[in-house]
Amino acid sequence: MNAPRVLLHMVKADFLERARRTSFLLTLAFTVFLGYEAFSGTIVLRLDNDRGLYNSAWVGALMGVVTSSFVTLVGFYIVKGSVLRDQSTRVGQILAATPMSKSFYTLAKALGNFAVLAAMVAVMGLAALLMQMLRGEDRTLHPVALLGPLLFLALPAMAVVASMAVLFETLPVLRGGVGNVAWFFLWTTLLVAGMPALNGHASALSPAEMLHDFTGLGSVFLSTRSALVKINPGFPNDFSLSIGGAKPSATFLWTGIDWTAAQLAARLAWAGMAVLLALLASLFFHRFDPAREFFVKRQRQPATQAGTGMQLPAETRAATQAHAAAQTHASAQAHASAQTLALKGHGFSRADQLPPQEGASAPEVPQATEYAPTTVTNTTIPLRQPALSALPRTAAHANFLPLAIAELRLMLKGWKWWWYAGAAGLFIACLASPLAAGRGGVILAAWLWPLLLWSQMGSRESRFSTRSLLFSAPRTLTRQLPAAWLAGVVVTAATGGGLAIRLLFARDVSGLATWTAAVLFIPSLALALGLWTGGSKFFEALYTVWWYVGPLHHTRGLDFIGTAPASSTPALFALLAALLLAACWTRRRTQLGYA
Amino acid sequence: MSIQNAGKCYRGKVWALRGFSLDLKPGVLGLLGPNGAGKTTLMSILATITRASEGLVLWNGVDVAKDPDALRSVLGYLPQDFGVYPNLNAVEFLEYLAAVKGLDAAAARRRIEELLNLVNLSDVRKRPLGGFSGGMKQRVGIAQALLNDPRLLIVDEPTAGLDPEERVRFRNLLSDLSGERIVILSTHIVSDVEATATDIALISAGHLVAHAAPEELLRRVEGRVWEWVVPSADLARVKEAFRVSSTVRRSDGVRVRVLTDHPPPAAQPAIPTLEDAYLDALALHRAGVSA
Repeated sequence: MNAPRVLLHMVKADFLERARRTSFLLTLAFTVFLGYEAFSGTIVLRLDNDRGLYNSAWVGALMGVVTSSFVTLVGFYIVKGSVLRDQSTRVGQILAATPMSKSFYTLAKALGNFAVLAAMVAVMGLAALLMQMLRGEDRTLHPVALLGPLLFLALPAMAVVASMAVLFETLPVLRGGVGNVAWFFLWTTLLVAGMPALNGHASALSPAEMLHDFTGLGSVFLSTRSALVKINPGFPNDFSLSIGGAKPSATFLWTGIDWTAAQLAARLAWAGMAVLLALLASLFFHRFDPAREFFVKRQRQPATQAGTGMQLPAETRAATQAHAAAQTHASAQAHASAQTLALKGHGFSRADQLPPQEGASAPEVPQATEYAPTTVTNTTIPLRQPALSALPRTAAHANFLPLAIAELRLMLKGWKWWWYAGAAGLFIACLASPLAAGRGGVILAAWLWPLLLWSQMGSRESRFSTRSLLFSAPRTLTRQLPAAWLAGVVVTAATGGGLAIRLLFARDVSGLATWTAAVLFIPSLALALGLWTGGSKFFEALYTVWWYVGPLHHTRGLDFIGTAPASSTPALFALLAALLLAACWTRRRTQLGYA
Repeated sequence: MSIQNAGKCYRGKVWALRGFSLDLKPGVLGLLGPNGAGKTTLMSILATITRASEGLVLWNGVDVAKDPDALRSVLGYLPQDFGVYPNLNAVEFLEYLAAVKGLDAAAARRRIEELLNLVNLSDVRKRPLGGFSGGMKQRVGIAQALLNDPRLLIVDEPTAGLDPEERVRFRNLLSDLSGERIVILSTHIVSDVEATATDIALISAGHLVAHAAPEELLRRVEGRVWEWVVPSADLARVKEAFRVSSTVRRSDGVRVRVLTDHPPPAAQPAIPTLEDAYLDALALHRAGVSA
């Protein structure tokens, strides 16, 4: 096997497959947006009230840390799914039948992910160049200063993200929505791990600090601080990369990081970590073995009970033998008479009500074990089909409630007992906690717990390819969509019901209004994002981040749960719920094509 | 059902179907055509999954594009590719789809039991669908298509993944179902159509090539199907000279079956099959198009 050539083609195919999707363009658009936000001053790298002059060094550093900090979070969600795609497209089975090793495959997948992320870094590099030129504070171009942070800070971080995505995909627990949530907290941990370097007053990072600094913020901070301290000895050691807020009022000249061997070695170590993670993933990678798949593992019945070729039922087998007898008499008439079923008109007549037919009733019914399959060459196998009863004609709109119950059951089906136990525990905890603690704390957990139930909303039909079955049914837009939403509302209300009871007893009307708005908003958001993205990943990522930034930190305007009276804005989220429902309606209407 | 000059254009430039007109009466219509002929596109239009870019589809005189629910409420559809919810078992999945179709719950339960028996899945009715084989999922698909006792049953490549016995069972079922309802069977397996269809529509490159009863199609190739044995070394030459519909290896050479008006002296006349008629019609159509 010519390994480099195989690797090249695997990475190329993986990259092209993604690059030719609309989502890739959206990804690049997001990157351009980040670049614009930095250009417009919405994203600011600041030291107290100062920022660097927009020269190659400062612009490069800004783009580098924006990429290694923000794009690493989003990038994971963008690239995760390449192994799953090989599985769902069954390309994986073809690859598994080649001499390719597991470690080679996971390494190739990580490189494919890295290629996509590197494209985003390249866009940021281009944005950096444009930003420096358009800002015009210093148009002298220093390529190393401009692109160094992207190459040395962002790319190693991206390599780690690329491999981490593969590792998550090979671990059964982290493959799905749990992994999407877990990545946010892992990413937060990685960011925080590099923070101690920002708090000290040392002039250089220790090797250990460099190794902890995933984003490279520490290197940028120390270098910029030493430049600033020269002109402002009273600098209060305040460094931040922020979105929004007041713009820095002063500027200073910074000529860039003097890359040391130790710094470059630390970044190289992160790249090495990426390789190790990709190799680690190969330990868990099951090489698309169907026996390792979840549903196969769950089966308890022996495989022979219901394999691909089911035996004919007793009556059909009997009829088959009758057919064989009929053939020996070479009588086309016998073929016709052997038909014991007549399904006529709109409804079905019972086979056993028909007059006895020659050939069909003659043979005895053999036992299953005695049955030997016969060679079947045409369609004249006689049948004794079970009768199908006629259906009453009912107005479809009268059956909305059963459909809503069916949607709810579909939503709840397949979860383990511990999920229900957890939900019940959080319900009781909400109920038993003091109102302030329940509203400000326990409800946060209660409304993070059903995240993976919500995330299935709207995308289930795409994910499981049942759209054609649903969309050919009558009134899908006016019945199935509202039923799916209602099921989400019920789940949200039930999981947060403990708090509602407390609020009710406390006669806290505003609290109840906030709770109701949340109950309407969360499933509306889930349904809308599911319908518009066709998947669950976007909601899982967005909800987790929103939950962290808004409710957990009681941020007014983002706190959709209303964890504190000061941060509650129920009218806003009720309005958003209505807008999201309109978005759901529009999307489903488009999907249906008719409506 | 009446299809009048229907066409479907994808992305504004690729016509998968063009100028397709057909009137359908109760019975089994076999829709035959090569891969990429436009069969699935036509099925999707008739099943109200996608709207025709031009032309009309009428159901009992109602324009389906304007009132798709008029058709959907009496429609049974088995798509070529469909999925199932892996955590549900067969009963739960069918109950869900019965609710989506707006069926009465009690009647639906009774119907589901009967259908599972019909498609031979009663024994595994409580197993999660995620563990079902392709053939078993296909039978679940067949059951769901019959849930609402459809007046129009559209089945797209229904025997894909079925073993020979189940395939024959399904063919028989289709024949039996076709009393006062319209059954449209789309396939490229000629024997499936041969066994069940009361009418056949041949489609190629998005156009209707022929619409006739099987007997009529067979009549068109009567006296033009010939067989004889040739040495293996001559096979390539025969393939160049004639339209070969089949070859069978034998100890004394290869028995070739050809469609021709001018047979070689050694050839014996053969009884035409629908496959001969199908190949002949397609070849004539292609010759006409290229001319």
